[in-house]
Parts: sequence; structure tokens; C-alpha cells
Amino acid sequence: MSRYVVTRFLLMIPTLLAVAVLIFLLVRVVPGDIVELRLVSGGTYVTKDVIQAERARLGLNKPIWNQFVDWMVGLVRLDFGVSMWSGDKITHEIAIRLQLSLELAILATIIATVLAIPLGTLAAVRRGTWIDQAVQLFSVAGLAVPSFWLGILMILFLLTRGWLPPLTFTPLWQNPAANLAQLIWPALAVGYRYSAVAARMTRSAMLEVLREDYIRTAWSKGLNQPVILWRHALRNALLPVTTVIGLEFAFLIGGLVVTEQVFNLNGIGKLIVDAISHRDYTLIQGLMLLVAAGYILANFIVDIVYAWLDPRISYG
Amino acid sequence: MARPVAVDTVSAAVLPLAAVRPHPLRRFARRYPLGAAGTFLIVAMLLLGIFANRVAPYDPVAADFGAMFIRPGPGHWFGTDAFGRDVLSRLLFGARTALVIGFASSIIGATIGAVVGVISAYFGGTTDLVLQRLVDILISFPIIILAMAIVAILGSGTINLIVAIALSFIPRAERVVRASALAIRATVYVEAARAIGAGHWRIIFRHMAPNVGAPYLVMLTAFLGQAILLEASLSFLGLGVSEPTPAWGLMLRGAAVDFVQRAPWMAIFPGLAISIAVLAFNVLGDALRDALDPRLRT
Repeated sequence: MSRYVVTRFLLMIPTLLAVAVLIFLLVRVVPGDIVELRLVSGGTYVTKDVIQAERARLGLNKPIWNQFVDWMVGLVRLDFGVSMWSGDKITHEIAIRLQLSLELAILATIIATVLAIPLGTLAAVRRGTWIDQAVQLFSVAGLAVPSFWLGILMILFLLTRGWLPPLTFTPLWQNPAANLAQLIWPALAVGYRYSAVAARMTRSAMLEVLREDYIRTAWSKGLNQPVILWRHALRNALLPVTTVIGLEFAFLIGGLVVTEQVFNLNGIGKLIVDAISHRDYTLIQGLMLLVAAGYILANFIVDIVYAWLDPRISYG
Repeated sequence: MARPVAVDTVSAAVLPLAAVRPHPLRRFARRYPLGAAGTFLIVAMLLLGIFANRVAPYDPVAADFGAMFIRPGPGHWFGTDAFGRDVLSRLLFGARTALVIGFASSIIGATIGAVVGVISAYFGGTTDLVLQRLVDILISFPIIILAMAIVAILGSGTINLIVAIALSFIPRAERVVRASALAIRATVYVEAARAIGAGHWRIIFRHMAPNVGAPYLVMLTAFLGQAILLEASLSFLGLGVSEPTPAWGLMLRGAAVDFVQRAPWMAIFPGLAISIAVLAFNVLGDALRDALDPRLRT
């Protein structure tokens, strides 16, 4: 098992490296000079000297190979360079926002799992009844409703009940209650889609498992329903559900981007949107790498959990 | 194995042909009522979008500062927005934007992805290896992030949005089609085609491509829903279609959030439109998947 983990971990390195190369190239195919684009996009007049100075500051006057080596060396030292917009270090820009987004993501995942697994199981066990149909409606709607609209509806609902949007972010360890009161709504907005997909997967996986011979054996042995469901069926049904939770991480990030905008939360998602609207190419470069790394890491964790849940998988 | 033949002959002789085998579309509608409802909604949306200029009661972009924030009622069925523009008219023209971007990006993305997928599966070896690593890298970006990055490079606007969404679909389409094509490559008829001297491209386009039609169609429908959601999200973030073009996501941006308590209709109707459109494509996609490829059933 530990050998599998190490091998799987090492396999992430070439992928990450290739992703870094792609991002580097992507930002360089921007039509026109990125410094010129950024400085002139505001409609202001700038002299050639200013542009030259800015290029020198960002290291863009060096040959492309040098720039690439600089970026790679920086990445190894966890230094993503400086933002073109604020002039701050990109790692600093990310660090001050990461806690919020990470907490939101974890909260949304917890909500999704806690909702989806019981709902999906219930729908499978009560197949064809109104409970099943209600759960299916819940999942079909979850895939169609945009999370930012759900967020707007929540704000509308909260405002009519006298709620006022908080202005600053309260960290979890300072005041857990205030922190949760602030993040529970955006987490629900993001988590709904997530739970819809997972509930659907749980239901179909459970239906498949409940048809297996060993479940019939368990019934005929006279075991009671909770034991059969939890010990025999759900354990085996969880495998595909884990995969889906991992794959849905991509949508989780998309959900964060729009939901942070709706609830006016200053997280990574909002930073991405701001970076793009400010044409802050160095920041875009750093953020894309961060998101891709997060996605690759999430899939790595899913693979490990998968192997841990299913002893049949050989750790070649 | 004589039994099924005998039964078929009898039933075909006794019953009129139409009763034995109803029209495939009717059979689809009977077996998948949800899929049929989705199809109905899509057709309705297409018609409303195409004839938006005849159906819409007002000009979707004309501001009327004497008619700001009018409640839904006769005259303005869905109310008016912060510029006094009729919400219903903007929704109808918004359907046009959503469908044009949805269809264009999905068809382009799915088709390019499918062609690359079949080529990758057919040639195998180094070609397959190189293409698969490239897909691995592209798939490491969540769709919305890749689309946002492309918008950051190309700039916003309808055409760039279509390119951005289509490009983010390509690696995903490639994966799905390659998996089906690998199985087809191993079939006897592909071997037979090669044995009688058919060229690479003839085998790819005449023998393999038609047989990945089912997964392609299922994928295309799934993409359509996603593309509409993606376009709405990007427009909502200000990275998609720009004002004053009527687009559902754009209608939810700015004033719709700021004045949500005063004019909730501005936020409610566009969101409903997005949800219904995506729902319609999703249920049709599910029904198509069940009907065309029982192995993919979930």
C-alpha cells in the first residue's frame, strides 16, 4: 500500500511540470505585449520608458528561456513571482485568501456527503416509491440550478428575515459560531450541486449492489436491515461514489468562483475573477497553477481512498 | 433458435406493421416521457429564440428610465429591470444568445474531440501516447478555469466565449470517444476493411466514426446543458457576453443582486430560464443515453 502511495505521488510530478509549461506558454501567446496591454487597457497614456521599466521589473525583458528557468526555479522555492496589479508577492495574495476558500470547499464537501449518502441509500432501498422520486427530483434539479442563482435566492430569503450581510471575514478559531453563520449559506449553495451528483451515484451504485448474491445470502441468514445496508451494501457502493466526489472537485472550484462573487467573499475564486478583469497575467499564471495542482492533488487523494476502500485493487 | 423467427412471422402476418413497430420517435417518447418533455422544452426554446423579434413585446436593449423596476403584471409580464428594460423580452432574446453559444461550442468541442479520439485509438502507439499525455494535462484544469483562462487571453465577447467553451470540452470528448473507438478498432469488420486494402482515413471515417455516433450524441447533449450553464456563469462574472446584449447570466449580474429585495423578479426569472434550459438538455441526455447505450446507464 505504501509503495502504491509513493508511486502514485511521484506520478503527479511530471503532470504538474507539464501543466506548468502549458500555463507558461498560454500566457505568452496573449496577442500583444502583456505589460502594454495591462497598462494601456485603462486608457491611460504611458511612455515607452514606463513600459520598459515595468518589463524589467517583471523580468519580461529577458529571453524566453531565461524567463522559463526563472519561473521554474521560483516554483521549486514556492515563489510564484509578483502580481502585476498590486505589486505584492503572489504567494502572499494567495495565502491571505486561501483559508476562506479552503474552509468553504471543505464545508461544501461535508454538506454534500452528509446529504447525499443517506438520500441515495434511501432512494435505492425504497425504489419506485415517492421517496425515490423526490430524491431523483432533488438530484436532477441540482444539476440544472446554477449555484450563483441559488446564492442570490438565499440572500433574498435571508434579507427578508432581517439578516445583514457581514462585511468582514471571521476566522474559524476566533469565533466559530460567527464564522459558520457566515459560511454556511455559500457552502450550501456550492454543496447542493455536489450532493445532487453524489446522491444520484449512491442510488445507482446501491441498486447494483443490492442485487448481488451476497446481499440475498445476508437476508436469508436472518440479518437485520441496518446491518445489511451499512455493513454489506453501502461499503461496496461507496467506491463509485468516491470517484464522483473526486471528479466533482472541478465543479466545486467553479462553484467557489461564482459563489464568492455573490456573497462578496474575498477568497481565491474572487481573486481569479479579479486577476482576469485586471489583466494581471502573472497572477493568472500563479492561480491557474494553484488550481490545477489542487485538482491533481484531489484526484490523487481519491485514488488513495479508492485503493484503501477496495482491497481488490492491486497496488502495482 | 427457430422459435423467435416463427413468432415474428406470425405477428407480422396478423398485425399491421405500424402496430408492431410504432415510429421510433413515438416509441422513444413512450419509453422515456422525461426525455420527450425535455425535447419539447428544447424545441419550444429554439422556436422562441428564433422568433424572439416577433414574440418579444418590447425592444430588449431599449432603456426606458420612466419605467424602472415595474412589478410583473399586465404590460410587463415579468416586470422591468434597473434600466426600465422589459425582463420577458430580454429573456426571449437571451434564449437566442444561450442557444447559439451552447450549440456552437458543444458541436465544435464534441466534434474535434471525437475526431482526435478516434485517431488516437486507431493509430495507437506513439500517436496515442502523445495525445493522451496532452489530454491528461488539459484535463487537469477544471472546465470553468480553462474557459476563464482562454477568455483572459482572447478577451470576452460571443466568439471568444464559444472558442473558450469548445476548447475546454475537447479533452473530455476525446476521452469518451477514444474509449469507445478502442473497442471498435478490435472488431472483425475493421480488420476486414484493412484486409481488403482500405486506407487509414477510409477506415477512420467510414468504419469507425459512424460507430461512435451513440456516445457522441449522448455526450453532445450533456455538453449542451453544461455549455449553457458555463456561458451563464462566465457572463455573470463579467467575463462572457457583454452589455447590452441580452444574456441570462448577465441579467443576474449587478443590479439584480443589488436590488434583489426591491425587485426580486429581476433575479428570479433569468435563473429559472437557465435552470429550465439546462434541465431540458440533461433529461434528454439521460434518456438518449439509456436508449442508445445501455452499458452507460447509471
